[in-house]
Amino acid sequence: MIVTPRIFARLAAIVIVGVLLQLSFFSRVALFHTSPDVLPALVVSLGLLGGSMTGAVSGFSIGLLVDCLLVEALGATSLVLLSTGYLAGLFRERFEIHSALVPPLACMGLTLFAEIGHAAVQVMLGIDSQVSLLIVRDMLLKSVYAFFLGWPIYLAVRRVLRPALVEEPQARRRRSTALGT
Amino acid sequence: MYRKQVRRRRAVLAFLVISSFVLLTITYGQESGGLQRGVSTIFSPLQVGADRALKPARDLTGWFDKTFDARGENSRLKEELAETRELAVGAQAALQENEQLRKLLDLDRESAIAASDYEPVTGRVLARTPTVWHSAVTIDLGSGDGVHVDDPVMSGDGLVGRVASVQGGSSQVTLITDDASAISAKVLPSGVQGVIRPDLGDPEDLILDYIDATENIGVGQAVVTSGWSAQGLSSLFPPNLPVGEVTRASIVEQEASQQVRLRPYSDLANLDMVQVLTGGPER
Repeated sequence: MIVTPRIFARLAAIVIVGVLLQLSFFSRVALFHTSPDVLPALVVSLGLLGGSMTGAVSGFSIGLLVDCLLVEALGATSLVLLSTGYLAGLFRERFEIHSALVPPLACMGLTLFAEIGHAAVQVMLGIDSQVSLLIVRDMLLKSVYAFFLGWPIYLAVRRVLRPALVEEPQARRRRSTALGT
Repeated sequence: MYRKQVRRRRAVLAFLVISSFVLLTITYGQESGGLQRGVSTIFSPLQVGADRALKPARDLTGWFDKTFDARGENSRLKEELAETRELAVGAQAALQENEQLRKLLDLDRESAIAASDYEPVTGRVLARTPTVWHSAVTIDLGSGDGVHVDDPVMSGDGLVGRVASVQGGSSQVTLITDDASAISAKVLPSGVQGVIRPDLGDPEDLILDYIDATENIGVGQAVVTSGWSAQGLSSLFPPNLPVGEVTRASIVEQEASQQVRLRPYSDLANLDMVQVLTGGPER
């Protein structure tokens, strides 16, 4: 991805809108007693489209903004989301995305990774309370929601960042066929 | 050229990871810093706008969720209604008796005065934590509305939590289901006291610990804040704020104590309006 000042502004807008939507909408609705967490899916989409550095930096920024807005200890969410974004970007750099199922599956898998990451950070910081088994159900349901929300999020992010994206192989092939080259 | 790029990427990644750990080490367990207060103040109007704009969509999603729940809840509520009718008759008599006893023994006079000192301010929930590891909400009341750190927060049904940090136009409220929450409470009518702790991951379940195994506690009994005060120290919550009702009481054999489970009166998963009890005693 070629990051110009205009694309940087778009990335910042994606980060802010994503965080506001999560905190004001997704965190406050529940289906089957679980709220969707779209932030890992957003970070995964950015990583899949922009590569490991874009994924890591946007994950770090999103995490920092969330922790600032909720006045939590800074760094915990950043650490989890930067790892998530980096892994998504690494996947894009190593493998070609040739199926429409890859983004939602990556969102699902890496959302589960992020949820386990949150749990690991909490264990590292120390938990004083009893932990319910329902937390496992919550993690799994969040991953399932990420599968269904991952595809629209990926498409929306791709649309916003289209001018910065390196041309996709299929589109390039289609264009060369049309030109007869 | 490629190697240089790889080195630069690794350096950025290492910088971000180290920054996260440094920030975590510096800010964990500390009061909110200037950065957090600044960002929170800047974003507060945006959050208010987003909250209002997204309310219809939230209500629609909530309607679907509640419709799923309503089927199972219907039969349970019918049983509860029958039980409540019986209890209501008994409660009337108990209230009269309670009033007489209070006058007679002059109990809790100080606590009653402390409770009446509070001035409730109503506000709206703007945002909520995305993970179950922390249970906190941001509300649209701040220091300008007279809100202070540690002020109790209620919903129409019962206790919700306490104010954890305050900015000019918004505050963060730590809910009673957060890992950091611990509330001294008593079971009615016996007055047995314990400490309410959350069961992380389950917003409809709280644990009342340190209850003697010999105490007789039954399902359906109400649990309220105990609001103790001793030697200049006092509880963050005034006495008799409703918290929840007992759903289960089981004896922990090794510890000779019983662990009482309660369901909070407030629907903590769907908070919309809350009331902050401002102007309490200085702590």
